[in-house]
Amino acid sequence: MRYIPVIGLEIHAELQTASKVFCGCANEFGGAPNDRVCPRCSGLPGTLPVLNKNAVILAARAGIAVDGTVNNYSSFDRKNYFYPDLPKAYQITQFEHPISSGGFIEIGGRKLRIHHLHIEEDAGKLVHDDYECISMADYNRCGVPLIEIVTEPDFRTIEEVQQFVEQMALRLKYAGVCDARMEQGSMRVDVNISIMPEGSDVFGTRAEIKNLNSIKAIGRAIEYEIKRQSEILDAGGQVVQETRRFNDNHGDTKALRSKEEAHDYRYFPEPDIPPVFLSDEEIEEIRAQVPEMPNKRVERYIGEYGLTAEEAALIVSDREFSDFYDKSAAASGCYKKTASLMLVGLNKLLNENPTPVSELKFGTRELSELALLWEENKINSNSAMEILEIMYAHGGTPAEIAGKHGMIMSADSDAAEKAVDKVLAENAKAAQDYKAGNKKLFGFLMGRAIGELGKSANPAVIKEILNKKL
Amino acid sequence: MKLKELRKKLDNKEIGAVELTRENLDAIKGDVCNSYITVCEEEAISAAREAQLLIDSGKALPMTGIPVSVKDNICTKGIRTTCASKMLEDFIPPYDASVVEKLKSQKTVILGKTNMDEFAMGGSSQTSYFGGVKNPADTSRVTGGSSGGAAASVAAGLCAAALGSDTGGSIRQPSAFCGVVGLKPTYGRVSRYGLIAFASSFDQIGPIAKSAEDTGYILSAIAGRDENDMTARCGSEDFTALCGKLPKGLKIGLPKEFFEGSDPGIAAAVSEAAQSYKELGAELIECSLPSLEYAVSAYYLISSAEAASNLSRFDGVKYGHRSADGDSFMELIENSRSEGFGSEVKRRIMLGNYALSSGYYDAYYKNASRIRTKIKAEYDDIFSRCDIVLTPTAPTTAYPIGFQENDPVKMYTADICTVTANIAGLPSVSIPCGADENGLPIGMSLTGRYMDEKLIIAAADAFERL
Repeated sequence: MRYIPVIGLEIHAELQTASKVFCGCANEFGGAPNDRVCPRCSGLPGTLPVLNKNAVILAARAGIAVDGTVNNYSSFDRKNYFYPDLPKAYQITQFEHPISSGGFIEIGGRKLRIHHLHIEEDAGKLVHDDYECISMADYNRCGVPLIEIVTEPDFRTIEEVQQFVEQMALRLKYAGVCDARMEQGSMRVDVNISIMPEGSDVFGTRAEIKNLNSIKAIGRAIEYEIKRQSEILDAGGQVVQETRRFNDNHGDTKALRSKEEAHDYRYFPEPDIPPVFLSDEEIEEIRAQVPEMPNKRVERYIGEYGLTAEEAALIVSDREFSDFYDKSAAASGCYKKTASLMLVGLNKLLNENPTPVSELKFGTRELSELALLWEENKINSNSAMEILEIMYAHGGTPAEIAGKHGMIMSADSDAAEKAVDKVLAENAKAAQDYKAGNKKLFGFLMGRAIGELGKSANPAVIKEILNKKL
Repeated sequence: MKLKELRKKLDNKEIGAVELTRENLDAIKGDVCNSYITVCEEEAISAAREAQLLIDSGKALPMTGIPVSVKDNICTKGIRTTCASKMLEDFIPPYDASVVEKLKSQKTVILGKTNMDEFAMGGSSQTSYFGGVKNPADTSRVTGGSSGGAAASVAAGLCAAALGSDTGGSIRQPSAFCGVVGLKPTYGRVSRYGLIAFASSFDQIGPIAKSAEDTGYILSAIAGRDENDMTARCGSEDFTALCGKLPKGLKIGLPKEFFEGSDPGIAAAVSEAAQSYKELGAELIECSLPSLEYAVSAYYLISSAEAASNLSRFDGVKYGHRSADGDSFMELIENSRSEGFGSEVKRRIMLGNYALSSGYYDAYYKNASRIRTKIKAEYDDIFSRCDIVLTPTAPTTAYPIGFQENDPVKMYTADICTVTANIAGLPSVSIPCGADENGLPIGMSLTGRYMDEKLIIAAADAFERL
């Protein structure tokens, strides 16, 4: 039978705060085990959590970034369970009153809805040494602030899931909420998936696949699950509600624990942290910190700037790059030329030698000047790219470089006429053949004339004269 | 001698800080009540020497050189803090509780850590892993609890004053049983940072002393906002400011349910004490707290739920008692917890987890929270007509050691007079107001409006002066 998958996501994203969510320890990645641990995040008796205000602000920004409603009132709860990576034996999270409710990301014309997003603390990490047969606990990650983004079960294809996760990562990066480095675990995805026969609208029993840490792994895990669950149903069996782990090496999923073994988390309000109140004014202040989201930028680039969908998507895929484009294109008004300079010229240079846009030897002002020189036909396209390369390597201003290298195209038709005359005299046979009908030779003659004049050659002028003479 | 007088004597060099500390340490050596779990002789002497230097330089602060005891659930850096439990028998905190830090910054002398009910769960101070505490007024009787060691240390003259903690009456009830004064401040008045949590939404650190004014004096030193405790949101001030200046025309509410639930002798003694306020120009108003009958149940559900969660961290993995047996993580913590906790603590953990488990949460925890809201509202109503609420501190006086030990429900019911102040987060002070037919102290409680410690301290002080 053919089945339709029904998929919902839980995305964990680490917030880019300087310190952890309930203590002053640095919020960083890597380092020696248990290097960033204090009485508070290691849960020593008598210690109390102190909420990092910045974590609240970043979480609220995330809510705004996904078009959710940031709540005026939110509060914390305790989720109780015993596990060696959790020193207090409870995780502080938001269960009843999350920081943000609702929201969506549109993929392929479908609104994929977000139920809510909430703040919680990360747990530590267990390192299992199978050889020594020991497990070691590293609490560096304990108390790192997270948001968990919980979606509705709106996804029906692997591609939707993957694009959603990519867009989510991009939005979180735009909003300065999370660096979304899945390979470092700063963004992790749990997939809830069930299948139902095509044509049905009754959801099946779901399995939850934990901690997927790449777009590819998400795709493979879902693919495997659809196959596994389909085979069970085809054989007349029943899917069991359970939590599963994806094994990247084998490309399969294995059961971790069944519904019966599921924890009873005994949630209750966290008495150590007073509720968080955000006034409408405070929420608006936070909203003002959130930049235009990439989807809005794409709309603007296509609708107002006349870029292609492909160009727009490429530019917004990196916020710094996109900001650079925006500033420079706005200054010159040359939207297409700026896009070409950045996507063709600059991208090639950045690929060869990756550099943060903020560390380039030229700024948006120089790029806008360059686009304008090109737009106004003062330089030709080859020169434009060449100037970009020079600015990339040494800095400088486009006008200066163009002047120094004789790239300013000449409007002098006398010089052009002389050059054309010379080329026609030296290539009389070609001129004759052209007149006899070999139209391809026009380009050859053009090339020769441009060659005579060098970088200052103005193709438009030469073309006109050549046409006249032939 | 009141602390203000002691302060003068220290400042006038009538008595030396070291000498005073030695007197107390000597007295502790003769303690027959098992008041202390740990005595910090060396640290105390060296603190006294530093205090004397400060006094000599003329820069003494209110608590400089004053020898105090600290309940053993308040963390002291480098000094073991056991919560009277086998679980934390060897726990040496690497940090000071905020209150300890405040006392140390004034060069207060900390004599040692006082005995208590295990993890502050109990009203007798008999559940301590280090043995029960005896009442200095009659050593065959309990001190009450859980701050029994603290109350005994004050009553027996083993310190000038004590810090205790009060979750459902743990400062006030032992103070009543031992004939001393105990103050539970407004929730949020004193930082809980470093107080090993029992029930976080009720716990408050507070002073036990020989007079009401003394409790205000100490409170001024330990109160105030703390960036380490988000719930410590009230400031500090001179809480003795109204002592001797009690406003005229005070309206004192007497909620009838508290008197009906107490031994007739106690109800009579407390009523009589209330009558004496008329001499001070106060007006007595009969009032009612109708939800009192649900208060104990609500208190035990919420406090046990919070306790079950708070005590989960004691798994024998990072510190504390670790069982010698256990092949897996789960087995190890199961064994460590089974061996490390006493039976009363286990009972509360089970009760709390039950109340929180899925399917029961609404019936227990949620309903208890509703009672909490209701009791707050009823207090608001009373305080719209009264300035102070006067009640017995406990329905009985100190009972013989061993009595009622195996009847937890009866034990819990005995908290009826004290739990509502914790439920509503209100300040409440217990002062001696007489004696029963055996000569045992009877305590009376004055409960005030939110953050109105000054008035209840002044009212208690005025009664002492009568």
